[in-house]
Amino acid sequence: MGFQEFVRKEMLPLGWCNGCGLHILFYSLCELFDELNKTNTVIVSGIGCTGRGAAYFNLDSVHGLHGRAIPLAVGIKRANPKLDVVVFSGDGDILGIGGNHLIHAARRNENITVICNDNEVFAMTGGQLSPSTRLGGVTTTTPKGSVIQPLNTQGILLSNKKYFYARSSPVFKTHLKKCLRESLSYEGFSLVEVVSPCLVNYSKRAGKGLDEVFKEIKDKFEICEENRTLKDNEFGIVKK
Amino acid sequence: MGTRILSGNGAIVEGALVAGANFFSSYPITPTSEIMEIMVKKPVEFIQAEDEIAAINMCVGASLAGNKAMTATSGPGFSLMQETIGFAFKLEVPLLIVDSQRVGPSTGMPSSAAQGDILQARYGSHGDYVIMVFYPNSVEECYNYTIEAINASEESSSPVILLCDGLLSQMCETVELEKIKNTPKKRAFEPLGKGKRHFTGLVSKDGIPNTHCENNYREWYEKRKKKILNVAKDYNFYEYIRNEKADILLIAYGIASRAILPLKEKYSIFRPIRLFPILPELKKISEKYSKIIIIEMNDGQYKKELEGFLKRKVELISQMGGKISLKEIEDGLSRIC
Repeated sequence: MGFQEFVRKEMLPLGWCNGCGLHILFYSLCELFDELNKTNTVIVSGIGCTGRGAAYFNLDSVHGLHGRAIPLAVGIKRANPKLDVVVFSGDGDILGIGGNHLIHAARRNENITVICNDNEVFAMTGGQLSPSTRLGGVTTTTPKGSVIQPLNTQGILLSNKKYFYARSSPVFKTHLKKCLRESLSYEGFSLVEVVSPCLVNYSKRAGKGLDEVFKEIKDKFEICEENRTLKDNEFGIVKK
Repeated sequence: MGTRILSGNGAIVEGALVAGANFFSSYPITPTSEIMEIMVKKPVEFIQAEDEIAAINMCVGASLAGNKAMTATSGPGFSLMQETIGFAFKLEVPLLIVDSQRVGPSTGMPSSAAQGDILQARYGSHGDYVIMVFYPNSVEECYNYTIEAINASEESSSPVILLCDGLLSQMCETVELEKIKNTPKKRAFEPLGKGKRHFTGLVSKDGIPNTHCENNYREWYEKRKKKILNVAKDYNFYEYIRNEKADILLIAYGIASRAILPLKEKYSIFRPIRLFPILPELKKISEKYSKIIIIEMNDGQYKKELEGFLKRKVELISQMGGKISLKEIEDGLSRIC
């Protein structure tokens, strides 16, 4: 078929900023849908930069309310278990306003895949503090740098008896695709956290080049090949 | 089935099953927790959600995937669901929301009787929308109008609200359910998984978000409004007890309409069963009377709507704080008349 079949042509060019990791994440998913022949997939998103992505996939898709992508997806999957249901949304949506739904969908082990693009700010509204903003992160609502610990998403997932948690980044595309591929095939609730800092906030406003932002990720993170709890500076897959 | 003893909650479940409901998600709250407890034993996909927002969003998802979905709650949960009601209206998704009322605002006086969610049912979500609201006054009617509400929802491709009195939800009466016939309605769109469509809360044109064109918005809204108003014409439910000697019309709905029934000896009584859109028949009926008096268990919520609709004064006898008394209503009437 070709991955292009999964791109809604009327939506080109995609609305995201040039250089944003969302482009790589989006096309990686299209390539995997093609490779795994996932034509029976429904994409569900919430509100935000990532949330706009639901419209870009050439599949049945639902662009829901802010924070409510997970319960919307759960309703779809329970109503028709034959469908593959993928949530494609951001950190504000899934970890912030929709945090309660994440906790309980994971606890009930709902059979859906959640892809959380973590850009560390509320990007669409101009770059406010998000639940995953790094310590010291300067945002429009933390002008002196955040003093709040970012949310431990892995901890939420791993507090369950059965779990699938992966962390990667568009900077490591091969590894990102490996994480996505496994999550799409996993039976049960799976979540992939995609580290992809908002370039407006962490490049332009911070006075850094795109290459510097990407290099920071490359220098900070290492890929862990073992199935164990990931350290803060590791990418990998941890599942049970 | 013959004659049975059933609660209002039980009748809502029976009605939903007859109308084909096969998905139910809800969060416990008095007085509708019993609906969950009965529903879990029925052949439906059942989810006890983490909160009311999740419950109604699961219903929207299930409905998009082809199920007939419903949720049930009371005032506090109904408030949490409001954003999603507008979302379902935008997406043209059929679904039934049961709101069995108790005294508010806030936690209020659970679960004393009140009719305080009338305006919330009509206007609770942001932006402009049109919605059908039904209001039964007996256990048998809970059954009947749950069926009608689900059918109206399917036919209009839109969310529909069944308002109920908490008192009625938890009250048992004898009923004969087989008397009521159901004519199921066909779903207006193919379920998810059968196309490459984009369902979005954004105003769109040809399935693509279009958020900068006022004409596109106006066309979309008018079409949506017209469709619901048209479908509503087949659901003009009311009861009119005419007293030839009366010059005064009493209006009441739900449990309040039962409390005032003895007054039919002296007054005419009109009981709207579909509260919204307001029944056009009421205009003509009300012309015969020199005075209109509404009896409701709130501070005049439906009165204000009726005054706007009828363009004339409507007197109010308000019964608040969980109590309704015929004596107090009669005292109120002698003050007004």
